[in-house]
Amino acid sequence: MAHVALKNVTKRFGSVTVIPPLDLEIEEGEFIVLVGPSGCGKTTTLRMLAGLETATSGEISIAGQEVTHARPGERDCAMVFQNYALYPHMTVRDNIGYAMRVHGTDKATIDTRVNDAATLLGLVPLLDRKPKNLSGGQRQRVAIGRALVRQPQVFLFDEPLSNLDAKLRVEMRTEIKLLQRRLGTTTVYVTHDQVEAMTMADRVVVMNAGRIEQAADPITLYEHPANRFVANFIGSPAMNFLTARIENGAARFGDQSLALTEEDARRLGDRGEVIFGIRPEHMREAEQAAALTFMPDAVEPLGPHTLVIGRVGDTKLTAQVDPRFGVTPGTMCTVQVDMTQAHFFDPESEARL
Amino acid sequence: MAQTAGRGDSIKHAFIGPAFLVVLVVTLFPLIYALVISFQAIRLVPPLPPRFVGFGNYAEILSSARFWGSMWTTSVIVFISVAFQYVIGFALALALHHNVAGASLYRVTFLLPMFLAPVCVALIARMVFHPYLGPVNDAMGMLGAGNIPFLTEPNLAIAVLITIEIWQWTPFVALLMLAGLQSLPGEVFEAAKVDNIPAWRRFRDITFPMLLPLSVAVVFIRLIEGFKVIDTVFVLTGGGPGTATETLTLFAYNEGFKKFNLGMTSALSFTFLIVVIVFGTLYLAAAQRVTRRYA
Ligand SMILES: Nc1ncnc2c1ncn2[C@@H]1O[C@H](COP(=O)(O)OP(=O)(O)OP(=O)(O)O)[C@@H](O)[C@H]1O
Ligand SMILES: [Mg+2]
Repeated sequence: MAHVALKNVTKRFGSVTVIPPLDLEIEEGEFIVLVGPSGCGKTTTLRMLAGLETATSGEISIAGQEVTHARPGERDCAMVFQNYALYPHMTVRDNIGYAMRVHGTDKATIDTRVNDAATLLGLVPLLDRKPKNLSGGQRQRVAIGRALVRQPQVFLFDEPLSNLDAKLRVEMRTEIKLLQRRLGTTTVYVTHDQVEAMTMADRVVVMNAGRIEQAADPITLYEHPANRFVANFIGSPAMNFLTARIENGAARFGDQSLALTEEDARRLGDRGEVIFGIRPEHMREAEQAAALTFMPDAVEPLGPHTLVIGRVGDTKLTAQVDPRFGVTPGTMCTVQVDMTQAHFFDPESEARL
Repeated sequence: MAQTAGRGDSIKHAFIGPAFLVVLVVTLFPLIYALVISFQAIRLVPPLPPRFVGFGNYAEILSSARFWGSMWTTSVIVFISVAFQYVIGFALALALHHNVAGASLYRVTFLLPMFLAPVCVALIARMVFHPYLGPVNDAMGMLGAGNIPFLTEPNLAIAVLITIEIWQWTPFVALLMLAGLQSLPGEVFEAAKVDNIPAWRRFRDITFPMLLPLSVAVVFIRLIEGFKVIDTVFVLTGGGPGTATETLTLFAYNEGFKKFNLGMTSALSFTFLIVVIVFGTLYLAAAQRVTRRYA
């Protein structure tokens, strides 16, 4: 029995369908990350779980209870908002303890829990400050603390780190992940940052236009993307896509031909057009390598490696190469492609082949 | 560098000069002129030469029962009506903010009383509360209560004045409070909903404290404005019976335009100014103590 389940849930705002039927089951203690481009319905899905939006149709259940039409407060979720949504006139201590106080928890318990949360999140010296006297990261920790002390069935996070600077984001992401491990509370986390999604999630749900494109653990998502959208979305820099023809166990485009691995050749057989996908970081020397020649336009040294941006025919292509790899923009260059890491997609359905 | 700064300085004065003069002439001069007059005995009818009397006018005011009576009347009208305006106005704003059924109808009409000139409102009220012709007494008659002398019995007359003030100015409070409500961050309330905070606690612990600074300002505006009430009183009761419903401004008006006692009127105006300043300061000091708890 799933701990949180969305069955056939749809959401319409007026005549606009934001979520076509969506099914998702979340296990107890699982850390789920909803990721996808802006406007794909992540927040809407999360808000439906919280009860802040009502599903147009379908069924939502949390901890075995049908809650489709329950008020937000009846669902035992705790939510952390993108803009923290702290009570501006209350001190950190009051912010964290407020819900418990309203619900009549006795004072000793409140104090213990607030202090525990504050210790855990490093908020002890800040307990008597007002939110406006805190930094963004500290406010975020208060918001997390407020969710924490409720000991809810489910944590809901809506892009909680997007207002923080890059360094703090990396720290907080680890903190949240560790915290969730320790508490074992089922968590749904929304982000549009794929690195956050990959690093934090037990299972990543990639959404696009309200549909789930793929729900899988990060490595599966990276190694076996279910379709072109996922392949493109996950990984940075993004995967290269070339339109190719499969002939005689090789992928051909223009006058180039890249030999497939035996297994790929067997699976794909001879067929007309496919989309050939290869990640920039898989353009490297390998046992089953094939040479690919392209026209470099720009070189971007990053330190550990260098990105070469160029064209094959009219298609843009990015290759990640060794910093000492000799390449001059404007002069043809050849890289090795690790064919064991090649992906193939149907040009019509864009599904993985 | 220093030279440029020096030249910039003198230019600065040149620019400010005209505005400063305008302010001086337009606002300060009349005030000072009035202040000077308030220390003199001047009568227009019959004309008497101005005579310096020092604080004589003020002493006369402070020892006059009529002044203290008008002071009491004004305070009663202002404090009771502003309290009702605030409570009802806030409640209306909440209803409109949460789109309670019928809110859209009210949204269109609720500002109308505010747009009416107080004199018109008073004239309407005079008809409505007329002892023989008014619908209120018709209704009272049907209920078996006799004709009630709304405008001639002092306490009833004050009650009617309070009612008019409330009717006319509650929309103003509602409008400002609604603006305040709509500017509050929605996420904070969503967070409270998710945390299962009941509606009335959300109001008491979140909405109200967050709107406290605005409330202080709105009540302040209404208090100051309320103290100036004259037109409705003038039309409705003329301050009568006797001087039972005379407000501070009406008192000053009567001194100035019925007795043409200008020195006295000036002194009254300044007394009025001092009264408003004292009340205003006391109020703001009290409000600040409350607000500081939340700020
Ligand atoms: N109240 C609303 N009325 C109408 N349309 C809405 C409403 N709320 C959201 N939408 C639409 O629903 C779609 C999904 O919005 P949602 O906020 O869920 O996106 P998101 O995935 O969270 O995007 P982002 O990453 O930018 O936060 C958007 O196209 C948005 O315009
Ligand atoms: Mg969003």
